[in-house]
Amino acid sequence: MTSQPQDVTDLAVPDRLVGPARSWWQIVMGRVLTPLLVRFAAVYILLVALTAVFVPFLANSRPYTIVINAQGGRPAVREFPLFRSLTRLDLILLALFAAAFLYSLVHWRTRRWRDLPRRRRVRWRWLGLLAALAVIASILIAILRHNVLDVRNYRRLVRQGRAGDAIFAPIRWGYAGMEPLRKNLINQRPSRAHWLGTDGDGRDVLSRLLWSCRIAMGVGFVSQLIALSIGLLFGSLTGYFSGLVDLLSMRFVEIVESIPTFFLILTFVAIYGRDIFMIMVIIGVTGWTGYARFIRAEFLRIRRLDYVAAAHAAGLPLWRILFRHMLPNGLTPVLVSASFGFAGAVSIEATLSFLGVGVPPPTPSWGNMLNAAGNPTTVFRWWQALPPGLLLFITVLAFNIIGESLRDALDPKLAVN
Amino acid sequence: MFKYILRRLLLMIPTLLGMTLLLFAVVRFAPGLTTAGGQFAAGQMKSRQAQRQQEQFIARRLHLVGKNGRPIALPMQYLLWLRSTCEGHFGTSLEYNEPVLKLIAQRLPVTLTYNLISLLLVYIIAIPGGMLAAVKRGGWFDRGFGIFTLALYSLPVILVGSLLLGFLADPQYLKWFPSAGLHATNTQNMTYFQYLGDYLYHITLPVACLTYGGFAYLVKQVRGSMLENMRQDFVRTARAKGLKGSTVLIRHVFRNSLLPLITISAGILPGLLGGSVVVEQIFSIKGMGALAYSATYSRDLPVIQTIALIGGVITLLSYLITDLCYTIADPRVSYD
Repeated sequence: MTSQPQDVTDLAVPDRLVGPARSWWQIVMGRVLTPLLVRFAAVYILLVALTAVFVPFLANSRPYTIVINAQGGRPAVREFPLFRSLTRLDLILLALFAAAFLYSLVHWRTRRWRDLPRRRRVRWRWLGLLAALAVIASILIAILRHNVLDVRNYRRLVRQGRAGDAIFAPIRWGYAGMEPLRKNLINQRPSRAHWLGTDGDGRDVLSRLLWSCRIAMGVGFVSQLIALSIGLLFGSLTGYFSGLVDLLSMRFVEIVESIPTFFLILTFVAIYGRDIFMIMVIIGVTGWTGYARFIRAEFLRIRRLDYVAAAHAAGLPLWRILFRHMLPNGLTPVLVSASFGFAGAVSIEATLSFLGVGVPPPTPSWGNMLNAAGNPTTVFRWWQALPPGLLLFITVLAFNIIGESLRDALDPKLAVN
Repeated sequence: MFKYILRRLLLMIPTLLGMTLLLFAVVRFAPGLTTAGGQFAAGQMKSRQAQRQQEQFIARRLHLVGKNGRPIALPMQYLLWLRSTCEGHFGTSLEYNEPVLKLIAQRLPVTLTYNLISLLLVYIIAIPGGMLAAVKRGGWFDRGFGIFTLALYSLPVILVGSLLLGFLADPQYLKWFPSAGLHATNTQNMTYFQYLGDYLYHITLPVACLTYGGFAYLVKQVRGSMLENMRQDFVRTARAKGLKGSTVLIRHVFRNSLLPLITISAGILPGLLGGSVVVEQIFSIKGMGALAYSATYSRDLPVIQTIALIGGVITLLSYLITDLCYTIADPRVSYD
């Protein structure tokens, strides 16, 4: 009696096996994100990226708020030095982050909606709106804001009792350019005041460490964005048209691949001087070949599929077939290239800064911090070398772990087990 | 085969032309081109006339003006530069005031020697390591080994170099190794074996820096390609014939796994040259990398240009050699 199914529906597959329909993308991401290590890597990268955006609130010599005591007939005033001293770059980054955050919120909320076209329309509308807002905000910030020159040493004001009721950032030190150099505090070992010690100019190592996340993430992000746009365009056109176009373009790809990026950057630095944006552009312009190859291979496969023929028959314009119908299906392998590319860009930047041809001096970078810790002429100071070196190592490792895991997930030869 | 080599060589020509065009354009459109270089070597302000003379001198050297002082048209400048490059005249260094070719001939052997030692070490360690990892696949050893090699691969050279120099070659901690150069100061009165020992002692740390990354990369490749071949039918046949496990592994599986290893070696060579810039900077070695670095700092354009060109040519040649090695290692690959 109990073993006998009472209804035909009992024979159906249990619900958990059916579930909501999952796209190829979701299946791959599910397979990639399962191992614990990969999750750690993803969380770590997210943390570094968040640090890059919010570092003015984490490590700053200026307090969030402070009351300057009455002095010489002037009444006591409450001031907000940290917010006043945010630069244009800080505000633009915050605006972009807010837009990205809101969009991912929309994406997450609409994830379970069943009717696809409507969901997609809503998402695109939000994306457009937020992108427009972010761009407008960035332009406004760039036009309106002026950097406020604020040379007051708030820590000393508080110590001398000339100001009170101050709320400081977790780390009370900024980086050079925001800080006067303190000659009496150079090369100190880690202490309670300076958790990771101070460097050769008396600046807090931890603060510089956090500020340099910005350079690393910025170089990786911008250069890979450039590489991605060139690679996608080039690879998709090459793969779609194939034949002679393919032959010629692949020769061009080989030319670009044989350019030694490192020496090219050295050449450019020799001629045009140090400029971090130039380095980003060079890494991007020479690093797109991996994307192009991946996309080309995918497009060579996809262009024979039925739905592309159907799109042709429906009379859709070429760009729409290429970028709305074919590209989303060929995009996943590109992620492998992206994570390895990001790791490579971060380490190239650190190496260049280590050699003294990357970021110009007052700006901190993991590379130039590592260099300052012990060049052959001075004694080696491990507390200055280990933190930036390890942070760089873990960042590169995290991207490589994710890339490796993606490649394994996508490799059809490994899919058997 | 011959036809294939010819075709490959012909295909290299547009690549080389593209590269020279890029390098020419980069240098030609440099701001303050004629004032470039020499200012660090001279170290002092020159009189205006001397400065103008130097500018004219550089302009003539870079084919901006002809012998009669007239400016030369842009395409002609390129062709002139290309001709002198093809003839082997890479110009004269603005900093050292010596032919670039001579400078490079001095520096290249230094760099190549320790690079080759490290390449050899990479192969000697990585091939047995990869075979071991392939045999012990699955389980904790494999997983741990995978993470270990990935971590080793991700370790930045600048960190390892700094730490090795700081902890093992610093009187403050351990003074096991020398901190700079490739030779002790009193090399004249050394016997040959003493000299060799001194050299090996000096290159230990730099070679360690160059080796570990290549090792990590190669081990992964060896393991992957061994695993792929272990699944093949011929391995089962060999086992069924009753051959010993080690024989199957070395004579059958390994020989067939050689193919990907050849590809990798082509990628390693240009990478080693780039890495030598960092290593030579950390350990104060006077090789190609140090030359490229000092040329960057003093805006020594002819030197930089030549080094970038040589780097590109080496990359191209290693691609070509790889493809040729393919046919030798695996008769199944044919290009005709």
